[in-house]
Amino acid sequence: MEKISDALLYERVRGKDKDALEELYDRYEKMLFSYLCKMTGDRDLAEEALQEVFVKVWRGVGSYDESKGKFVAWLVTMSRNAAVDLIRKQKKPSVPLDEIAEVESTDSSVEETAEWQEKSEQIHQAVRHLSEEQQKMVQLFYFKGYTHETIAEKCGIPLGTVKSRIRLALKKLKTSLQMVQEGGVLDDKREL
Amino acid sequence: MTNVNCDQLIDYLNGTLNEDEQKQFEAHLAECPECREIVDATGELPYLADPVAPNPGMKARILDAVFDEEEQQTPVSEEPTRRDRPAPPATMAKRGFRTSKWTPLVAAALLVSLLGNAYAFYELSDQPDAPTAPEVAFETVDLQASEAFEGTGTAALVHEEGALNLLVQANQLEPTSGDQVYQVWLLKDGQPIPTGAFTPSQENEGAVFFSLDEDTEGWDTIAVTLEPNRGNTAPQGEVVLSAAIDPEA
Ligand SMILES: [Zn+2]
Repeated sequence: MEKISDALLYERVRGKDKDALEELYDRYEKMLFSYLCKMTGDRDLAEEALQEVFVKVWRGVGSYDESKGKFVAWLVTMSRNAAVDLIRKQKKPSVPLDEIAEVESTDSSVEETAEWQEKSEQIHQAVRHLSEEQQKMVQLFYFKGYTHETIAEKCGIPLGTVKSRIRLALKKLKTSLQMVQEGGVLDDKREL
Repeated sequence: MTNVNCDQLIDYLNGTLNEDEQKQFEAHLAECPECREIVDATGELPYLADPVAPNPGMKARILDAVFDEEEQQTPVSEEPTRRDRPAPPATMAKRGFRTSKWTPLVAAALLVSLLGNAYAFYELSDQPDAPTAPEVAFETVDLQASEAFEGTGTAALVHEEGALNLLVQANQLEPTSGDQVYQVWLLKDGQPIPTGAFTPSQENEGAVFFSLDEDTEGWDTIAVTLEPNRGNTAPQGEVVLSAAIDPEA
């Protein structure tokens, strides 16, 4: 039996199908929770953010359709923004700006599934093709819970510049990711 | 291809566009493959994190909260005379999480409060004028699953002034099908009385609260059976969980 698409499940959720919501939850629980844990550094906060995301999905806040890109990307954006808000509300001390090393791994890390491993390798590989500055932008925007305004403030760069740097970083990430996914191996010398 | 709209991508991802701008940008997104592909790539970013196991019970809590809203919109009519009623709502909500009215979680919280302070029962029961020095005795027992059955449970029995309050909470139960219910019984010398029934939640948990105004029986056993239907006055199904209780308590 072919796996039902996210978009179709989402349609059913809009029709108040609880099973469809549960299926979407099951599909993305681990991915989003892992991401939110890394971003917030706090399991409870991560759970709270994840709950907000699914409450919004259920209530049809900011409804999704395929013209907005992949469903999972839409979920990731919602998750990021939920976490950014919670971090701000909690006035949680943010990780120092110069520390762009990996956040120490959470103690109860679980074994990577084959799918996770493959996805993880691809995105890590793609990120390695970004310049240091671009990697930093991705880190700050997606993993440190900073808004573009905060980045501008803390780095002393104009907001417009920050936005275009993040955009450029993500654009390059997209290109290198596509090449990794399609070609398997990426030629380092190739201009992206 | 960069136009004015493309420049709004980061504001869009940051959730800082106003309603009109948001709509405009979404229209742009539908027509700009580059912006859409960039958005799609961000969907892979979580895989930069190490996989983390979900918090215990997280799924149940989140789905409870998600579906909670609409259940509260449908008022549940409670017959005031019914004796086997669900556990009363407790106010202890976990930080930031909304707890729906009758979930086993609440029952579990109530159970904890019972153990901590049997007097707390007065605030939760129908007796506003509780005597100042009531004779209260309480006992808790762990329910054991019978062979061939799944599940665990706890029963709390509180005796006060000749009345008996009973709270049973069970989890890891097998789902019921059709009209099946889990039925709780109190037994003395093998003679049972029904003390409430429940069907397990999606998380395979259930709870029941029961009170007897005059209890002189000295029950020796508590049991949970899986009945083919609700309302049986004697067990037809098999015992799933059970425990001996102290008749003198
Ligand atoms: Zn565009």
